[in-house]
Amino acid sequence: MIESFLERATPTWMGVEDDYSDIVISTRIRLARNLDGYRFPLAFTENEALQVEQAVTHAIKDSTKLQENYSYFAIKDLTPLQRQILVEKHLISPQLAKKELVGSILLSDDESTSIMVNEEDHLRIQCMTASFQLQKAYEQANKIDRILEKALPFAFRDTFGYLTSCPTNIGTGLRASVMMHLPALTLTGQMNQIINAMTRLGMTVRGIYGEGSENLGNVYQVSNQITLGKTEDDILADIQSVAEKIIQKERHARGKLMEKAELALEDRVYRALGTLTHARILTSEEAATCLSNVRLGVDLKLIEGIKAMTLNECVVSMQPGFLQNYAGDVLPPAERDRVRAEMLREALFRENVSKPIIGGKGEDSFDV
Amino acid sequence: MICEHCKQRNATVTVTQVQSGQKVEHHYCDVCASQFHPFHAEFKQEPVSIQQLLSNWFGSPSWQQQKADEKQQAQPQPQTCPHCGFTYKQFLKEGKFGCPICYDTFSEHLPKLFNRIQAGPQHIGKMPGARSNVYVIKKQIEDIRKRMKVAVDEEQFEVAAKLRDEAKELEKQLQFEGGDVS
Repeated sequence: MIESFLERATPTWMGVEDDYSDIVISTRIRLARNLDGYRFPLAFTENEALQVEQAVTHAIKDSTKLQENYSYFAIKDLTPLQRQILVEKHLISPQLAKKELVGSILLSDDESTSIMVNEEDHLRIQCMTASFQLQKAYEQANKIDRILEKALPFAFRDTFGYLTSCPTNIGTGLRASVMMHLPALTLTGQMNQIINAMTRLGMTVRGIYGEGSENLGNVYQVSNQITLGKTEDDILADIQSVAEKIIQKERHARGKLMEKAELALEDRVYRALGTLTHARILTSEEAATCLSNVRLGVDLKLIEGIKAMTLNECVVSMQPGFLQNYAGDVLPPAERDRVRAEMLREALFRENVSKPIIGGKGEDSFDV
Repeated sequence: MICEHCKQRNATVTVTQVQSGQKVEHHYCDVCASQFHPFHAEFKQEPVSIQQLLSNWFGSPSWQQQKADEKQQAQPQPQTCPHCGFTYKQFLKEGKFGCPICYDTFSEHLPKLFNRIQAGPQHIGKMPGARSNVYVIKKQIEDIRKRMKVAVDEEQFEVAAKLRDEAKELEKQLQFEGGDVS
């Protein structure tokens, strides 16, 4: 059951490519909701947790209006590795993965929607799309919210809107995030300035591999901080226009780099490809940096024969949980670096049409 | 000179500290110095969490602490949420509320909080389907007018002006909704 959600690194909805695919990886909408009459997860009893969970799962199972089929999993029934993979796929949050007693997840078959139960709030409805599609993702989340509100007593006040455990989510309970690959802005040292400006606009920029690993692989997540005092439409419109500006700046920076240092850039992206296709040991930091450079090379048409989709898959599946699933075993960190190099070599050799002069397909036999 | 810490290598770094008005000099080798340079300790501080921010902003500043303490003595019952037992102090510590009723219990503190960390104290977004009708908007306007009166009585005219604008916005919405209904 759960296995079907763990096999693929990227779900089919990630396959969509449009005008923004060279920069925006995915878009995510999250709505926080709570049920009236129950304490929030930080203060509730196990019994209350169970009641909330039953109410939510029933509401979803009994609804005839939800288009997708949802699979239910209790976090406590999943192995640590399974939880980690769900986190790496962004299907559940790291906080939910840590829950020992309560907490569960409802996943739609296409993996575009996940409903987390008893995380920080009773419900977190999360919808994802490929590329830059805020409206589409929000409409999906809104639809689910409208269906569930008929069956569940959502805690709401006229003054404060939807009530949430943390006052940073109050009001709309809406968090919109756009995940972007910004190598040229990082390379030209413009990210700090952008991050500062964003903070003033009530938005945040973070890395995707969790807090601390700020800009690993030059991937950033832009999201709104403000949830109260603005309408959903305004929040989305603001994120939309800010993200568009960042995309513009990144394209401009890429153009400038090509104009001023095409050879140096070409050298950089091919060196990265060389490392990924030949290295025997790769830390996640090095792999992320190389994947970012190769992706830039593909986007700028310096490298041909590698699909953006393959790189997206590599970015997800080079993470520790996926690697161990790939290897079928729990691996100590040093072993992971070896398996990571092996996995990436396999993925990119298969893809890379212009075969490297040294080495080639047969060389994997040396590893056995 | 030999390093004070490892007592092996030559001391090449002089660290001057001012401790309670006294200048103290330490001599370390570069290996030991890099380990406990005073700046290192400072930079290793954890990022400021929402909890810290909340207590820094909304816990009373130290010069008001005494006053607040006196006040609390005057009011024998500190505010406690009847449903989950949370106190406002606990909220400041955790950065999170215990249950939906907390928002009713501590409602008087909240507009001030939301003015700082949010775009304003009033929700203007989506409502659950059953609520978004004329009746609810009317009630909201009534509620805002009440709060406006309190603000005027307390001579908080900026707050009152903000509320007046909110009420106007809602009246517009009401007209729109009314037109829609009929």
